[in-house]
Amino acid sequence: MPSPTSAAEKLLLQMVDDYTEREISPEDMPMDAAGDFPAGFIQKLTDTGFLGLMLPQEFGGAGFGPEVTAAALNHIARGNASTAVTLEGHFKTIDQILKFGTPALQQELLPSANDRIFAFSMTEASGGSNPMGIGSTATREGDHWVLNGDKIMITNGGLAQVYCVLVKTAPHELSVFVVDQDMPGFSFGKREDFIGLRGTPVGEIVMDHIIVDNDHLLGKVGDGGRIGDSAHDDARILMGAVLTGIMEHDLKIATDYAKERKAGDQPLTALQVTHRKVADIAMRKETTKLLFEKAAQLKANGQPYSEEAAMAKAYGSRVAVAAGDDTLQILAGYGYSREYPVEHLIRDARAMEIAEGTVEKMRSAIATAEFNK
Amino acid sequence: MKIVVCIKQVPETNDVTIDPVTHNLDRRGLAGVMNPFDKNAIELALNLKDSRDDVQVALLTMGPDDYAESLREGLAMGADEGYLLSDRAFAGADTLATGYVLAQALKKIGDADLILFGRQAVDADTGQVGPIVAEFLQQPQITYAASLRLSGDNEVTAERLLEDTKQTLVAQLPAVISVRSELNTPRYPTPRNIQLSFAKPLTTWHHDDLDLDDTRLGQAGSPTIVTKVYAPEPVKRELTKLAGTPAEAASQLITALKGRQLI
Repeated sequence: MPSPTSAAEKLLLQMVDDYTEREISPEDMPMDAAGDFPAGFIQKLTDTGFLGLMLPQEFGGAGFGPEVTAAALNHIARGNASTAVTLEGHFKTIDQILKFGTPALQQELLPSANDRIFAFSMTEASGGSNPMGIGSTATREGDHWVLNGDKIMITNGGLAQVYCVLVKTAPHELSVFVVDQDMPGFSFGKREDFIGLRGTPVGEIVMDHIIVDNDHLLGKVGDGGRIGDSAHDDARILMGAVLTGIMEHDLKIATDYAKERKAGDQPLTALQVTHRKVADIAMRKETTKLLFEKAAQLKANGQPYSEEAAMAKAYGSRVAVAAGDDTLQILAGYGYSREYPVEHLIRDARAMEIAEGTVEKMRSAIATAEFNK
Repeated sequence: MKIVVCIKQVPETNDVTIDPVTHNLDRRGLAGVMNPFDKNAIELALNLKDSRDDVQVALLTMGPDDYAESLREGLAMGADEGYLLSDRAFAGADTLATGYVLAQALKKIGDADLILFGRQAVDADTGQVGPIVAEFLQQPQITYAASLRLSGDNEVTAERLLEDTKQTLVAQLPAVISVRSELNTPRYPTPRNIQLSFAKPLTTWHHDDLDLDDTRLGQAGSPTIVTKVYAPEPVKRELTKLAGTPAEAASQLITALKGRQLI
């Protein structure tokens, strides 16, 4: 008999596969074309309990650990990467409230994470990888804080109802506060029109004199940089899982097509040029899978995982673009057509060379970690 | 009100082969999933549970230990408890021997007001086990129900959907009902309910836990002999619609039957 934990994981992934096949995959192409998710889509996802997948059971969630959470997003991304990234943005935010929020704040906010989407916002017009350059501020007034500023390019921006925001509490001091869309002074700004992951809303929030209590501060004053790094680390594991899912999608398209298509009298499967491309896609997929699974395992075991998470995303995003390119080449004209999903898989993968820290920043982080060993 | 839903685990693949010796389905080594039609029966039970405070839903299946996975999925959908009937003595059972063991287990569970089945299993496609259980228990049965409602304190009304007709039937409880997939859309087990399902009771009963006549068990207790497996040619039937009042239609029917020397 399998252990209850592994049996639950198996049952979860079986349900995720079933739900993805019936409810999520069919929306992949329409979401890309529309640049949005269809009406009722997020509600169905919520009703099926996906938002609470990694939320501890004491807050009404399912309490699955980092490895299963990453595996679930990997399976969803095989059919629809945008939906997996929307969940990634939600989960990484919950993670930071679990790590840095006070018990009172967790009790106040986290039960609602089962049916409200959460988002983490760092980027401003000054850049995403330059946190000290941000202009948003929190000013202490008596026993509360007053928040002002614009945050842009937020994964789930406009969709989420709860936001962790990185602000300056002093000229060289970063802190993170939690704000709710219902707070006076909160408003939404413009939504981005990105070329990939078009089913994931990415948008702006504007804070105009939002007053929050001190208990809406995550960690301590000045912990903003540390919390931001932690959010990146958690997101990067999940992005590795999403990128693996994209490459699995590529591989299925490439192999299905190669089995059916003939070049002259020979099927594409008989050509060495096809072998090379399919083998490369498979190796890239498998390597990224090992990287994100290792990072998730380290996280689950309470060990440092920052470097491995950066590797999963930095490596996975570059090779996922290449895997899409090889898939496109196997399908040739059909691959270049919008009628087939290959071209949008390339655009989806390309987003992750930038989001949650550019690949250049990842490499710096990895190299620094190696120098420090 | 107690509802027992009888479910079956079936091979996950459609590529099931036929054993060349026994001519039975060869299920060895195949990963299993819950028979999809059984999910409609569970959904019906859970809808009734959602609409009333007094409904308890139990699941029952017979098979090897790994059939517990399907029971667990049903518990994650929302059922309250599961029973697995597992013993080497039950192996090789046809629909009659399966129905017998299920009926004996249902007697031991006791006091079931409704016993539900999916319309058939997707591996063998017989649809026989539900009716066989009803006969063993001497309970009324309605097969192929496409809608169902509790129409009184002790009564159920179901619309039976057949190939070319519909029937509305009323049965006294306790009753055995098999349901069609048109009845509902089964819910997905939520991630949280998957976790919580492992705290729900799942009981395994072996041979000695039930009151059984050994001559009715397993292959020895199975009168079915599969001599050949083939796809039958579809039979085209003549259809004559009788018009007019019921009396006129009856008169036409008698004339037609006499004309064919059938009466």
